Amino acid sequence: MTHAVQTILLGLLTGGVYALLAAGLTLVFGVMNIINVAQGALLVLSALLTFELWRRFGLDPIAAAALTTPFMFAVGWAIYRLFVARIRDAPVSMTVLLMFALAITIEGAMGLTWKNVFRSVTPSYFSQSFHLGPFFLPKAQVFGCLAALVVLGGLYLLLTRTWAGRAIRAASENPQGSQLVGVNFRSVAALTFAVGVATTGAGGSILSVLYTIFPASHYLWISRLLGIVVLGGMGSLPGAVVGALILGVAETLTATYISTRWATVMFYLVILAVLLVRPQGLMGSRLRRDVAA
Amino acid sequence: MKALASPTGLRRAGIGLLGLVLAAYPVVRLDDVYGQSVLILVFLLAIMAGGWNIMAGFTGYVSLGQSAFLGIGAYTVALLSLRLHLSPFLLAPLGGVAAAVVAAVLGATVMRTREHAFVIITIALLFLFQALALNLEGLTGGSNGLTLPLPAWDRDLQNLPFYYAMLVLGALSVLLSWWIRRTRFGMGLIAIREDEDKAAAIGVRTPAYKVLSFVASAVLIGVAGGVYAYFLSFIDPRGMFDILVSVQLVLAALIGGRGTIWGPVLGAFVVVPASELTNNLASAEGLHLFAFGLVLGAVVLFLPHGLIPTVQRWWSQRRQRPVPWEQRRAVTVAERAAPAPPEPGPVLLQVDGVTKRFGGVTAVEGCSFAVRQGSRTGLIGPNGSGKTTTFNLVTGMLRGDGGSIRFDGRRIDRLPPWQRAHLGLGRTFQLTRLFPRMTVLENVVAPLRGFSWPNLAADAVGGREAERARELLDFVGMLPLASQPAGQLSFGQQKLVELAQVLMLEPRLVLLDEPAGGVNPGMLEHLAELIRRLSRQGLTFVVVEHNMPMVLDLCDPILVLARGRVIAEGSPSAIQQDRKVLDAYLGEGWGKAERPVEV
Repeated sequence: MTHAVQTILLGLLTGGVYALLAAGLTLVFGVMNIINVAQGALLVLSALLTFELWRRFGLDPIAAAALTTPFMFAVGWAIYRLFVARIRDAPVSMTVLLMFALAITIEGAMGLTWKNVFRSVTPSYFSQSFHLGPFFLPKAQVFGCLAALVVLGGLYLLLTRTWAGRAIRAASENPQGSQLVGVNFRSVAALTFAVGVATTGAGGSILSVLYTIFPASHYLWISRLLGIVVLGGMGSLPGAVVGALILGVAETLTATYISTRWATVMFYLVILAVLLVRPQGLMGSRLRRDVAA
Repeated sequence: MKALASPTGLRRAGIGLLGLVLAAYPVVRLDDVYGQSVLILVFLLAIMAGGWNIMAGFTGYVSLGQSAFLGIGAYTVALLSLRLHLSPFLLAPLGGVAAAVVAAVLGATVMRTREHAFVIITIALLFLFQALALNLEGLTGGSNGLTLPLPAWDRDLQNLPFYYAMLVLGALSVLLSWWIRRTRFGMGLIAIREDEDKAAAIGVRTPAYKVLSFVASAVLIGVAGGVYAYFLSFIDPRGMFDILVSVQLVLAALIGGRGTIWGPVLGAFVVVPASELTNNLASAEGLHLFAFGLVLGAVVLFLPHGLIPTVQRWWSQRRQRPVPWEQRRAVTVAERAAPAPPEPGPVLLQVDGVTKRFGGVTAVEGCSFAVRQGSRTGLIGPNGSGKTTTFNLVTGMLRGDGGSIRFDGRRIDRLPPWQRAHLGLGRTFQLTRLFPRMTVLENVVAPLRGFSWPNLAADAVGGREAERARELLDFVGMLPLASQPAGQLSFGQQKLVELAQVLMLEPRLVLLDEPAGGVNPGMLEHLAELIRRLSRQGLTFVVVEHNMPMVLDLCDPILVLARGRVIAEGSPSAIQQDRKVLDAYLGEGWGKAERPVEV
């Protein structure tokens, strides 16, 4: 029993980090109907940058989020302006392909820079744990989860307390309606995309302590994130958080009681099952389709 | 879409020459083992891109998991040949069978999703297959992969058997695409790509078509997977279920031209050599991927239609000729008498207590009415009263939340749209929904009065159907525009073509959704006259219309819909005096003045 609770606790800590990673993906989908399959590659990029900051300057990986987040924001802005804005009205499949092209370009660039070697960041607390009665909580996971929750909280405040955030939410709920009330959809789209990518900054920094990083591991990450976002309901932020916690726990349980290799399979099965049975996920909304007819 | 813009003779000669050169190549350059290997990869990519093109180019469903069929074929053949000790060549067709079976099973479930959900599912499926091949070690050897027997033939033959096997499969792949494109099956696929709901409304049994196209797109890839496994003599999960292979085949099809017959082949001849070149020039880790990503991005951004369509467009613009278009005299208005009093024909359509909710909004609530055979029934009502929703419920584009709909005594409210179309229910749309990239004639030929296997293989435009379509186009006065793409027609012209399209179904009841909306007065007269003539031939109409003079003149009886239910029914004159109708249109207590409604 203790073992099970311990496993669930670790799963929740993982889920907290997943929530941040998935938030960016679902936000971009909600506003722009774009599945940013490069999110995984951007995440790994941020993790490798964090690795570099730690190796060269001894910067704490989680503190590095303060640098990687604005940097990835700028990267997101540039990606939107240079590429995505050009095919805003193209069919979904073309934007997916474009984002995929970006993902493998980044993967290739990372391979050139860091070689295809497993990297991990190991600060002093890397192998230490907090002890709570019979349970142990690895410090890296606790710090990572806390940092993720702080950034997620900041994102929440940004979306609910600022005009820019309101514009993003308006554009997400009703793109045409938002334009009628004066939201400049183009700049909101650029902002959303940049914010979505910025989450990979903090996310990647946190990941660098928790996982070994490898250029090609972005496929694994995008699969996880898609599973979470699909389960929560594509475009729904609360859904992403709930989906992340559920799948974080489910993954840890599968890995502990069955095997690590089947833990990833679970994400694919979740994607299939949800999209076939309940395409709107747990908290997504189902739009009326016939109005355009 | 023709394969090439040049005349047929030249095209045939070109294809023949290409076949000859490729068939002779390994014999002429017997020692060029590397060149042969590169060509084998070109053929393989052409087969895969060609398969993808059937799904994505014709049917409009973009998959990023297409390479899974390569792995399924490869593993099936490898496992069977290791167990049965038979040559993988003999077993390769079974790889195709396995791929087809998987495609059929998956297609039946997966094809219910659209757009982004479909893309995500295909990626997830590919990774799922990879994970299964990795994890089911007992069967597949896991990450150690499987080693196949070495070829038994004389070593002097080198790779020739592989070369010719792939060449034949490549030729079959082009033939399959070409054949599909010219059949009624292919036309149905294009209709689904252009507008899936509309396709169902004109009788295309969309699920069957989609599953078949999925199977057609998978089968040759499965066979090629078996041959490829033998060629490699070693397969492992990462190589066989590789998303990069999927992306590479998509790139090939995009470069050549999605939806064309030869695009995937052309693309394969561009992508494979380019890929070999970067591999040879620089062996640095990641450079190959980096370049690949850049090229894919550039193609998506700057050459989204591909080489063949781009060249075709340039060619046809250069030789553009003015379209001969004569304004048809509107059909002379013969007996402009008031519509004959509705003979009380039997009830053809019976709507009973039908309800439809969208979240908290109830668009149609307990709506009941009957349409009698041979009548021209008008359906009017203020905006938002549920007219179009009612049409959608009757034709099956929406499923109701309650109530029943009977057509000719048969309950239809649970039937899919195409089956209702087969029973003789046709409709036009408020904003016309022709297939914009098909010609006018193809649009009118497209409707299907039933589903039969032999009919799938029939010529797309030909036989009695084409004859009939021309007659109907002549009837509505659009025959001179028969070979124009429907998207280039004016709105009014599109309405007429859509009417001809519906008539192709030989319907018993036609639902017209705002036939007069956005149509100029001259054409309106023409349209009304056409409806009258069809009506005299016994066709039944239900007309939703805001143009009151037209509807009051054309229709009898008239049903008035407000807040999702029928509030009044009667002759035009009775309706004009009906208190409830006036309230519904003008709000209650609209004034003392007793005037007929004129909107």
